[in-house]
Amino acid sequence: MNRATRIAVIVAMAIAVLAPIGLVVYQSFLDGPFFQPKTAFTWSAYEFVLDDEDFFDALYNSCIIAFGMTAIAVPVGAMLAFLMARTDLPGRRWIEPVILVPMFVSSVVLAFGFVVSLGPAGFVTLWFKGVFGFVPWNLYGKPMLIVIAGLTHVPHVFLYTSSALRSLGSDVEEAARMTGAGPLRTALTVSLPMVMPNILYAAVLVFFLGFELFGLPLVLGDPEGILVLATYLYKLTNKLGTPSYQLMAVVVVAIICIALPLVAMQRYLLRAANRYVSVKGKAAAQKPVTIGFWRWPAAALITAWLLFTVVVPLSGLILRAFVSSWGEGVNILDVLTLDHFRELMGFPNLVRGIVNTVLIASVGGALSVGVYTVLNLAAHRWPSGWTRLMDYLVLLPRAMPGLVAGLAIFWVFLFTPFLAPLRQTMIAIWVAYTLVWLAYGMRLVSGALLQIGPELEEAGRIVGASPGRVARDLTIPLIKVGLIASWLLIFVTFMREYSTGVYLLAPGTEVIGSLLVSLWGSGAVDLVTALSTVNIAMIGCGLLLMSLFGKRSHG
Amino acid sequence: MAKLIVDDLHLSYGSNQILKGITATFAQGEIVALLGRSGSGKTTLLRSIAGLEEPSQGVISIGNTPIFDAAAGLNVPSEKRGLGLVFQSYALWPHKTVFENVAYGLRLRNVPKAEIGQRVAAVLDGVGLGHLGDRYPHQMSGGQQQRVALARALVYNPPVILLDEPLSNLDAKLREEARIWIRALIKRMNLTAVFVTHDQVEAMAIADRIILLDGGRIVQAGTPEQLYTEPVSLFASEFMGTNNMMKSRVQDKRGGYARIELAGFPLWGKDRGGKAVSEEATGVIRLEQVAVADGPGSGDGDNRIPVELETSVYLGSQWEHVFRCGDQTLRAFGRPLAAGTHWLHLPPEQLWVF
Repeated sequence: MNRATRIAVIVAMAIAVLAPIGLVVYQSFLDGPFFQPKTAFTWSAYEFVLDDEDFFDALYNSCIIAFGMTAIAVPVGAMLAFLMARTDLPGRRWIEPVILVPMFVSSVVLAFGFVVSLGPAGFVTLWFKGVFGFVPWNLYGKPMLIVIAGLTHVPHVFLYTSSALRSLGSDVEEAARMTGAGPLRTALTVSLPMVMPNILYAAVLVFFLGFELFGLPLVLGDPEGILVLATYLYKLTNKLGTPSYQLMAVVVVAIICIALPLVAMQRYLLRAANRYVSVKGKAAAQKPVTIGFWRWPAAALITAWLLFTVVVPLSGLILRAFVSSWGEGVNILDVLTLDHFRELMGFPNLVRGIVNTVLIASVGGALSVGVYTVLNLAAHRWPSGWTRLMDYLVLLPRAMPGLVAGLAIFWVFLFTPFLAPLRQTMIAIWVAYTLVWLAYGMRLVSGALLQIGPELEEAGRIVGASPGRVARDLTIPLIKVGLIASWLLIFVTFMREYSTGVYLLAPGTEVIGSLLVSLWGSGAVDLVTALSTVNIAMIGCGLLLMSLFGKRSHG
Repeated sequence: MAKLIVDDLHLSYGSNQILKGITATFAQGEIVALLGRSGSGKTTLLRSIAGLEEPSQGVISIGNTPIFDAAAGLNVPSEKRGLGLVFQSYALWPHKTVFENVAYGLRLRNVPKAEIGQRVAAVLDGVGLGHLGDRYPHQMSGGQQQRVALARALVYNPPVILLDEPLSNLDAKLREEARIWIRALIKRMNLTAVFVTHDQVEAMAIADRIILLDGGRIVQAGTPEQLYTEPVSLFASEFMGTNNMMKSRVQDKRGGYARIELAGFPLWGKDRGGKAVSEEATGVIRLEQVAVADGPGSGDGDNRIPVELETSVYLGSQWEHVFRCGDQTLRAFGRPLAAGTHWLHLPPEQLWVF
């Protein structure tokens, strides 16, 4: 790419990132929807929101939940990472892929699973009641919400900590053992402190995700009236009877103002973490730490966690999709049925939703990876102010939760005349998805780009290839495997995405995720569980593809 | 005729000056080594010629055509310079076969397909890999990869070929063979070559001329013999060969020679540093010039000193002896010696005083 193309690409990205945010900020200062002819600048929307008790309730709840789930997810995740990465725990190889499942299943689906399993009339609840005669938990309270949010975010902490622990050479641990430290002491005084920056990064990430939480509080908090920022925004649509754009804009501005510093902090911490880990030499031939008797309680703990966060909700959900009704004293064999799936096929919008989801994940995902690749190539090996600008721009959409980004994109399509006809097409959905996952996708592709040494490209220039030819003939073929892997990850990510499409939901733009949210509101449990099961099956296929591809490209 | 001219080249990264004014000419058919320690600027100079670094000042021309001129704002991009470069890591493209790696430069020049086949086959034959065109780089040994890298740089007949530490990734045995065949190949094709190395033996073995760099400046340029036998500075003398160094003071000067002292014994040497009497000076003599003598000399200017044998190391073809003389250590090659006191002869014309 030559300089002019690079700058053009970066400017285009800047517009795509800044337009939605700019429109939201603009709208927040108006006294009516931006498309109305007569609007005036005013602070009234801010005054209304800052006067609303519900808003502060939601803000408070978001804080409590974010803190609570961080306090649960970090210790559990770090411990899990140590057990998996550094010890001779039995069955490690089998457990490891299952640990990441909560990351790949959409959190509304998980929430539905908890409702059908642990809710007042859930499978597990009724079974427990039948055996013990009482039920010690209430699914719809804040404590349970925090526990569930915490336990379902363990994989994030696990992922970052275990990768750091793996890149830690066992020489540093062996050195500690040689000077006389036992295995536990080694873990506490050498291994864990060395990956502390990564744990800290994961903690900030989980805290941030806590603020973004939408699916879990929508399903589990709503019955008790527990609002968080995202659900407050979602409910605001109907608060005044008419859609109150300016109020929504104010809440979005508030969410972005809270998220942006957290995102900036994550970026700083990630850099610190990488610096810390990369200075340590060889990571070859790690020897697991023997933990003896302790492996049994450790294995039991992991099994309990898996049972609660993966097995119970998912099995409950799938089971519920195959039974006609459920209650006390019902024999499961009598009620098994495929009716819900037949019913599902009877709704054209739901069928369209399934097809659209497959399309957005496969074709849309590939296009998004293409966009991320072009953006990465625009900044590739070009140290300049432009690329630094791009680094910061990428962070902005990260500060917008899917729900918010979907809303902003919806407005952009409403606002811009030449885009308006595309509003009710999958193109709008694709733009929103691509923007929401911009930072993530950019990192996936840049990870692949970092693998190729600069001299491979320099060699191309020397033998006579222009920068464009180098990209086409050398760089892209060299990162092909990385691009396919990125596409598979984006495929699964788009498959499970639910909040971004909520405001864009219209005939023609149905995707499974947003349909689930709206169906849940209408109380159609049969359809919700059936559709969720379809979604889980599709994600399962994606994960299967991923592991097959991983085996092939490594073998 | 000068093929490549570098004139007053300056380059810095931020406040860190890498090149501080390099001026050099490279004649047609000449092999020149850029020799220096790491950080001397030798690789940066090579990359500047290749167009991979942008100097802040100076001119680079090939033939009579400038390809870089900071004052005129001219900076021909790498791909338009038409030079050949062999990378230290070889930088073979792992997704292309050997044939495709070599052919790529010709494809970019829109050479007809049949001709590409012939020319690639010819150049691969030239580097002794004629039968391995279908292999991928990872299926080849380090030595073979290096030959492919060379073939890739040669195939489109560049006016100048640049080599960045071409032998550093080969093991010792292979390296000695590669020195000889690389020089023979370049000479046979009558190419102008510039190569970077930190190994003085390699530089002397391959190059017609050596440019010694230190701290972004040229210290000395000349034939290998000139650099080895007539170093202009202490740095140049230290860099080439293995030496005995003696710290002392100039005692006396006479007829182009200076006298220093080693543990009280006078030593005459060529005055190369121009130090005044009673200034601190360093005496340098190559190991192979120090001889074990049969006894004390006849007088002043004979340069014989008594030394104590400390230890001896067997090198296979000969012994290396370590002697002690006062607080100085002297090393010399020779036949096995008995322990005790010996006399060493340091010929005045081979001892340099800087």
